[in-house]
Amino acid sequence: MSGPHEDDGISPRVFAVAAVVLLASVIIQLSVVARLALPLGRPDLVLTLLAAIALVEGPATGALLGFTVGLFGDLTSTHVLGTSALVLCLVGYAAGLAADLTDRSVLAALLAIAGAAAGGTLGHLGLAALLGDGAVAPGVALPRALAAGLYAALVAPFLFPAVVAGLRRVRRVRP
Amino acid sequence: MGRDIKRSRLLVLTLVVITFTLITIDYRTGRATSGPRGWLHSAVGAVEDGVTTVVRPIGRTASSLLHPNRYQNRADQLEQENAELRRQLADRDEITRLAEDLSDLRLLADRGQYTIIPARVIAVGDVSGTDWTVTINAGSDDGVTVDKVVLNSAGLVGTVESVTSNTATVRLACDPRSRIGARLEGTQLLGAVSGGSGPNTLTFTLYDASYRIQEGERLVTFGSLDYVAGVPIGEVTRVTEVGGLSRTAEVKPYASVGTLDLVGVVVGGPPADPGDRVLPPRTPPADGQPAPPAGTPEQGTAAAPPTAGAG
Repeated sequence: MSGPHEDDGISPRVFAVAAVVLLASVIIQLSVVARLALPLGRPDLVLTLLAAIALVEGPATGALLGFTVGLFGDLTSTHVLGTSALVLCLVGYAAGLAADLTDRSVLAALLAIAGAAAGGTLGHLGLAALLGDGAVAPGVALPRALAAGLYAALVAPFLFPAVVAGLRRVRRVRP
Repeated sequence: MGRDIKRSRLLVLTLVVITFTLITIDYRTGRATSGPRGWLHSAVGAVEDGVTTVVRPIGRTASSLLHPNRYQNRADQLEQENAELRRQLADRDEITRLAEDLSDLRLLADRGQYTIIPARVIAVGDVSGTDWTVTINAGSDDGVTVDKVVLNSAGLVGTVESVTSNTATVRLACDPRSRIGARLEGTQLLGAVSGGSGPNTLTFTLYDASYRIQEGERLVTFGSLDYVAGVPIGEVTRVTEVGGLSRTAEVKPYASVGTLDLVGVVVGGPPADPGDRVLPPRTPPADGQPAPPAGTPEQGTAAAPPTAGAG
């Protein structure tokens, strides 16, 4: 794994802080969010947070963060190593590409975050099915992806401004 | 700007190639839970245990949010006292619920003469949401070993997939990769329950085409070297396939995945097959009295299981 590069627009400080926050979110996702019995499906805190950070920091940081967090998630799971890393890396990259759109409208950010959560959930389920690990029927996968997107859209109006403010603070404190 | 995009594209391509390599290697070699993976499992398990302990009484958290601590005058002071009492009540509810859970689990274990290690669920699934596993806060230090049956007060939950010193990963019975030997109540015919059709449905395959499965029939584990026999699994809700060399049916498991909390790892069983006595009595008395755990009379002896008749 290559370290963060200055010229790629990746600030090591931002990367470190974001990575720690995301790793904590993985544990909160598994120990708290996954246990909540919510209707439709369950929110994906990791995908939502990753998309929000990538929307601020751009594709390179998004991809590298997604890869790091996904690898951590893979190592603490029982499925094939690298699958979450692949999905989260691509989600981080795609959300980062949408960064320019969010300068124009807040709605675009909301849609990008919801889309990332839904797409990421589909990606996880699709890849698991492809590797014969835990195939679920399309009739189960689609509602789950939609539910993840819906919950992400509900959380995004609170989460996104907090992420923007938090990252700005991290950058400003920098010596 | 153009150079930036080119660089990030190169970065993401490199990362994707790395993940493909990892997937290929891990897929080929099988999943090892030793080395860095096992170490990380136990480290994360400790954190999850802590998080769960703090967050557990969700009712308590909710009520403390509803009743913030502020008192400027007497009314507010009373309000605060009220909130404190409410919190204590919520705590007591939680403790009472846990005690009831534990005694139910104990009763079930006693009916089957199982030696169990009680544990609590500290994490559900994995980051991708595709793993049908839960992490529990008992590990090899407590005597948990791989391939043991895990149950709760309702019935079968799953089997132990991997252990670290203080945590263990349990593969739920509804996991597509899970396959557990099962038999119908009152018979010795071998079958198996497997997952893959959602959290509330198991698929039962009976390797005997001559037997007609009926709706409402109940299943218990068959028992093998590691898996203890007689653990209640669930009830047949629909017979799906009646042709071919085997019979399949949909089964509704007794244990519900959504509300898993207190579970027990069965580390020792009775010397003889407990038969069907772990199942609750067929017709509960109408007056609501707790019925004695009576074994069904037609299932007394622990006869050697007959070989599955391959038609």
